[in-house]
Amino acid sequence: MRKIFPAEELARDARFIRQTNEQRLSDPRGARVAGGNASEQLAKLTPGLANGPDRARALMHGIFVGEIQALEGAGRTCWDFEVGEDVPLELKLDMARQCWDEARHCEISVSLAEHMGTELGEFAENGLLYEAACNPDPVLRLTGVNRALEGLAIDVFNTMKEFGNLAGDPVLEFCEDWMLADEVTHVKMGSDWLRRLTENDKERLDKALEFQKVVDRLFSFNGFRGEDDDSPIQLTRRFRELAGFSDDEIDEIADMSREARAEAPS
Amino acid sequence: MPEVSVTPESFEMVFYDSAVIGEVVAEVAERLGIEEAINLEIDEQSPLGRSKIVSYDPIELWVDGGALENTQRPRQFGKARSRDTIGRLLIRILDRRSGRFDDAPTDEELELSQFAAWDVHCVGRLERLGIGGQQKRRQYQFRNRHGFTDVADAAFSQLWDSSELSWTEIERISEECRSS
Repeated sequence: MRKIFPAEELARDARFIRQTNEQRLSDPRGARVAGGNASEQLAKLTPGLANGPDRARALMHGIFVGEIQALEGAGRTCWDFEVGEDVPLELKLDMARQCWDEARHCEISVSLAEHMGTELGEFAENGLLYEAACNPDPVLRLTGVNRALEGLAIDVFNTMKEFGNLAGDPVLEFCEDWMLADEVTHVKMGSDWLRRLTENDKERLDKALEFQKVVDRLFSFNGFRGEDDDSPIQLTRRFRELAGFSDDEIDEIADMSREARAEAPS
Repeated sequence: MPEVSVTPESFEMVFYDSAVIGEVVAEVAERLGIEEAINLEIDEQSPLGRSKIVSYDPIELWVDGGALENTQRPRQFGKARSRDTIGRLLIRILDRRSGRFDDAPTDEELELSQFAAWDVHCVGRLERLGIGGQQKRRQYQFRNRHGFTDVADAAFSQLWDSSELSWTEIERISEECRSS
């Protein structure tokens, strides 16, 4: 079986339609983010918005396809690297555990889609998460996926959990809470492995953190994820601390979001 | 077939064809028994899904471009979604003209819960006419406005299955959920 499986060849049935990053970013109306659109003045995602429930549905579908890709990415990391030469066995065991979590998240997400009245494949799939999981350096891969994207997942799950709470929807609230707990663990794995594998390699550490920033920036349209009260997705400081982010790193993400917001078209 | 005028006539940001849109609007109108002219204005710059009735007589509708979009293929026209969007607007016009909604608030004054309840009644009837549907999606929206309870679910079924409720009946059903 070949190593580094290309994103465009991922197996999907006819229900799923892939939208490339080029297509997404070249949409003159703005890119889709957080179940809304980068061109609108996005308000915090709550049930009180006229389009709140529909935005939550779209976001939940984005989470669902993200879970599929996270499963595929963690699975590839188990296979793509050699024990001893590339990675320690314990890293592969962590990735195997993550596969188990992501598979469970896929099933939860399918049930939530049914609960929210969404058909699988109803919205276009973007493959950016898996693309980040194709990096040939395991440290960069884990930093991009587990710290940047799973870090974003912490913020998204917490926002969706609050959405469920505000709507009085215990199904959504509890499902998001359970998945959130796993995401914190996944981000912590990324933080721990980043530290361990670059202990004596400052250059590799810097490259990995730079890759993380690139991935974070790709998901910072209009600063939709931030600490302001009206940020559609709330940056979740406490959970990120638990997942191994330093205060400086969290500040940096918040600043990046603020800058993206200031640059956004009004 | 009713005469339909679509503005703009050509699109720069999305891959829509005003003639195709006009055909879909005319088809939905015909199935609802509307024979008069319809003006539809589309804001192609907006990928959101908002829509509104600008004028009840003559019929003038306004929609975000996103309200006619194929959600699987951004920027492409979505026939099913367009039928749903236009059908919901036109059936509300018919409701307002029926005399059963004379005491309803104006569109701008409707609360989210009132709008959700009326919308369920609209989409339920449209589905039986073969236009639109997505019952579970509408139920999720209704639950967000009326609670995730058995009472709300029973109210949803009543609104969905009924053929011609008045505004007073819709408001009563909605209010009973919120006060339960």
